[in-house]
Amino acid sequence: MRDHSRAGAVNWLYAAPAMLFMGVVSLLPIGYTFGLAGEYHRLAVDTRFWPVMRTTLSLTAVTVALELALGLAVALVLWSPFPGRGLARAAVLIPWALPTAVMAMAWRWIFNADSGVMGDLLFRLGLVASPQVPWLADATSAFWAIVLADVWKTTPFMAVLLMSGLAAIPDELYEAAAIDGAGPVRRFFVVTLPLLKSTIVVAVIFRAIQTFGLFDLVFVLTGGGPGGRTQTIAVYAYDVVFRYQELAYGCALVVAMALCLVLMTGVMLGAARGGKAR
Amino acid sequence: MLRRLVLVLLAAVLSACGRSEPDDGMIHIRYLASPDVGGFSKVIIERFERAHPGLKVDMIEGPAAGDARENMYSTAFMGEEDSYDLAYVDVAWVPKFAAQGWLLPLDALMPAAELDNFLPGDVTGSRYQGKLYRVPIQSDGGMLYYRKDLLAEKNIPVPRTWEELVSAAKKTRTSSIAGFVFQGKQYEGLVCGFLELVWGFGGDLLDSSGNVRIEEPPAVAALSALVDAIHVDGIVPQSVLTYQEEETRNVFQEGRAVFMRNWPYAWNLMQQEGSPVRGKIGIVPMVAGPGGKPAATLGGWGFAVSAYSRHPQEAYAVAEFFASAESQKLAFFKGGILPSRRALYSDPDVLKAAPHMKDLGRVLAYARPRPTHPRWPRMSDALQMHVSAALSRQEEPAEALRAAAVEIRAAARR
Repeated sequence: MRDHSRAGAVNWLYAAPAMLFMGVVSLLPIGYTFGLAGEYHRLAVDTRFWPVMRTTLSLTAVTVALELALGLAVALVLWSPFPGRGLARAAVLIPWALPTAVMAMAWRWIFNADSGVMGDLLFRLGLVASPQVPWLADATSAFWAIVLADVWKTTPFMAVLLMSGLAAIPDELYEAAAIDGAGPVRRFFVVTLPLLKSTIVVAVIFRAIQTFGLFDLVFVLTGGGPGGRTQTIAVYAYDVVFRYQELAYGCALVVAMALCLVLMTGVMLGAARGGKAR
Repeated sequence: MLRRLVLVLLAAVLSACGRSEPDDGMIHIRYLASPDVGGFSKVIIERFERAHPGLKVDMIEGPAAGDARENMYSTAFMGEEDSYDLAYVDVAWVPKFAAQGWLLPLDALMPAAELDNFLPGDVTGSRYQGKLYRVPIQSDGGMLYYRKDLLAEKNIPVPRTWEELVSAAKKTRTSSIAGFVFQGKQYEGLVCGFLELVWGFGGDLLDSSGNVRIEEPPAVAALSALVDAIHVDGIVPQSVLTYQEEETRNVFQEGRAVFMRNWPYAWNLMQQEGSPVRGKIGIVPMVAGPGGKPAATLGGWGFAVSAYSRHPQEAYAVAEFFASAESQKLAFFKGGILPSRRALYSDPDVLKAAPHMKDLGRVLAYARPRPTHPRWPRMSDALQMHVSAALSRQEEPAEALRAAAVEIRAAARR
């Protein structure tokens, strides 16, 4: 009995540094944010809040959907054995390993209006009339430029997560399905997809949370322009706190952001569970 | 050896926590500035220290990006720390810093007669609610650059009005040379360029009694003129919507534009050896609209004394020394820093080395500061966003400025 309680005390002791660390770097600032937040009524009358929210949500929906489709394709390709697979797997991870701000600078050059590679490429393919295309000068094309850059960067992350899901599917199931006469397409829909569902849900939630808080890419690539059409909620919160020095309202924005994320995650988990009940 | 290392580390940790005075019996005056290109600040500091035994000036060369330094100053002042005795501040920071009580009013220290020696815009930009918070050091203002050779080829006089600019640009542009380029990206620079035109068209953003006037006809006419320049007259390429200062300068310096709106810094770079437009450029004040007078948006830097400094008198002495005609001349010759003293624009030494200073002096005489309001960043963002929306044709000019006015009024009331 005494030994048991001593072991418990020792365990707590071992856990203490990690818990202290979490408390100081995570719980304390979160608590502070809630403490500092105020002026919530302004959320209702702020003319910027809803446009920014709309941009953030559409960016999240479009980006995560594209990443899921592409990430699944990449995962399936990299999962099936072929010569040089190790190298291919490593190469795919490169975009994800790059710091976002550095990558965003590179994309700014790619989309440069006067000497960007993107315009030149499409011009050589005969898709645009002139190699000088001001991609970031137009609200719609600037939005898609951000989507492209973000999908390029984070599809590998999605693929890696999904590959871990693929690893958990026993080969026997594929063999049994094959014996029952299911072709590769049918095997994908009756074996792979249902068994991958919980991994997909986790991956989508992960990516949705990250994209919802997207800051660096937008800040560097478009600065929120033109006409504020690419400003995300994180960029707006930064402006409110650091440039306008409205600390209380800025923290209220962050709290609103967190609530949205909790809601979003809840809806996704609920949808996944509902699907399972059927 | 080990003990020494521990001591050094301990000292480093302690000095990171708060300001520790070096134990040399001297009074240290500390400030943060951009990297000292040309090394003139060090020379001025050496001269100051020689003239003032017992005082030492610690210049910290911070990041080149202005907003990074603004954040560093803000953070130190928010914590009511005496990390900096002096603040080298942009004209746009004065209201924000002064409203927070971070700066010391200098009216008692600086004689009113002395102020008359500085460019009027720089003095106005150093005041907040009637009090002086900054000693102007470096002047800056927006202006119109033009290609002398291309205008002479077609026998076109240098434009003075917007109409003349449009017609000159139409006559001189080709498929590879744009008529006019400016900073059109959604950021502070867009507001600077736009305000020049608003003032030039006889309008205003915030008048002296605090009324928001940006949705009035002159401002709408200025914005319509810019929108038409891109989408109707075709003298401005649509890519200006992605341009900041350097993009504009690159286009102009490579010989791909006839006119450009930019700051004085571009002059020296474009006149360097190897520059394709060297010797082919001129400067004039930004053109005016019908019934307006030319105007320039004031930039510019100066020294403010921190309210948390333990040595405000000594700190002011440093500021005064940097503002002297002799120091400003040195900064101009070694670093290309434009002086804030008006007499230097007709100084024979200066004019001998740089004849364009006469034109520059004329431009800077028209310079006006942006509205001095502590909530300027929010106002500026509202204006940036709607002007950018109008330039990219998401909103009509009148509608855009009406929306901006609503947001600016809301920011002013808060």
